[in-house]
Amino acid sequence: MVRANRVVEISKTLSEILVCPLSKQPLRVCEKSNSLISDAIGVSFPIVDGIPCLVPKDGKIIEAEVSRDGDSANTKRRYHQDGTGGS
Amino acid sequence: MNRLNGTLLRTSLRRRSFSTADNVDGNLQGSKVQIFDRHLKRKQRDRAAWLINRKDSLVNTVADNLLDRLEDVKKTFPTTLCLGGSLEAIRRSVRGRGAIQKLIMMDSSYDMVKLCKDAEKDLASDNIETSFMVGDEEYLPIQASSVDLVISCLGLHWTNDLPGAMIQSRLALKPDGLFLAAIFGGETLKELRIACTIAHMEREGGVSPRISPLAQVRDAGNLLTRAGFTLPGVDVDEYQVRYNSALELIEHLRAMGETNALVNRIKFLKKDTALATAAVYESMFAAEDGTIPATFQVIYMTGWREHESQQKAKRRGSATVSFQDIQKEFGAGETT
Repeated sequence: MVRANRVVEISKTLSEILVCPLSKQPLRVCEKSNSLISDAIGVSFPIVDGIPCLVPKDGKIIEAEVSRDGDSANTKRRYHQDGTGGS
Repeated sequence: MNRLNGTLLRTSLRRRSFSTADNVDGNLQGSKVQIFDRHLKRKQRDRAAWLINRKDSLVNTVADNLLDRLEDVKKTFPTTLCLGGSLEAIRRSVRGRGAIQKLIMMDSSYDMVKLCKDAEKDLASDNIETSFMVGDEEYLPIQASSVDLVISCLGLHWTNDLPGAMIQSRLALKPDGLFLAAIFGGETLKELRIACTIAHMEREGGVSPRISPLAQVRDAGNLLTRAGFTLPGVDVDEYQVRYNSALELIEHLRAMGETNALVNRIKFLKKDTALATAAVYESMFAAEDGTIPATFQVIYMTGWREHESQQKAKRRGSATVSFQDIQKEFGAGETT
């Protein structure tokens, strides 16, 4: 319940104007980890108590998404998840 | 010492802007010059959030003076971004000026932002929708052309890349948006600068930078122009604050989060040097009634993002009327 409350706290105004501080690309709200994710550079910024922390030093590099084998492995896995690609 | 630092900084900045080969990520954020320890400044501002004095007359006066400029313009500023510095004083002093509807408050210190957020419910409701975020002025996380007004009150003098921070502010502004900033200028704390230098020379046989290099008034106009603002305006105010002792001055600086954050600072201060500084300060500058004055010079800067409705000089060579004809028309009586 508490978790559900925390997720919706980021205001509409903020979600409209915030971008990634490093790449200036749009951010995506990740409700599961309660953070803002910059897909362009693969960094997540935490939202603490409804306040997004967008100082570059607060950002964490998302490791799980980046596959060591490069793009091909990455896309293959995505196919699996979607269930659209072959095995 | 300060002067030396200033010129050093300027030459290195100049060098950076001309080199392209060894500065691969030479975009506006690629500053290699680190004068201030931004991480330490965050920590100091965290501490300042706990020490803050809401009746600080210096901070309140500057915030009020800065916002006063909004009354001189007819334009309204529905969406406003307030950058770090005296954030909380700005919030209290807005009082309907500039017809602000949405106010986004940003600071590099989480505690400072949290303080403002918690103070929100104590304020009389003035129908301003406020949002809060933690961000760095050097890496502004704001979408381009999204706000009508950027206010920065006593915060930008701690940025390593002041032109870069100002350029990012300009990009965040909508066309015809206003940039309004107050920073401490070079005359600030000149007494302390002198006292520090003398005491250090005397006790330690050398000086280390204790007080940061600050922008001079003449630089402010150049900064605005360099950042691409139109109709730049700069003016200066000097405030004298009187303290009972030199230690009280340091307490005040600490409460404002304005203590030394130079990268090249010496990380300790010997007790007898500190006491010598206080003694020198008192003997050189104390007033007759025993109080100690400190000068704070504040530079106010205003600039606009370019818009076709703004007045500007015509292109060179675009004149269709000769000056001789004008003279014939208007000055005929005097010349002939």
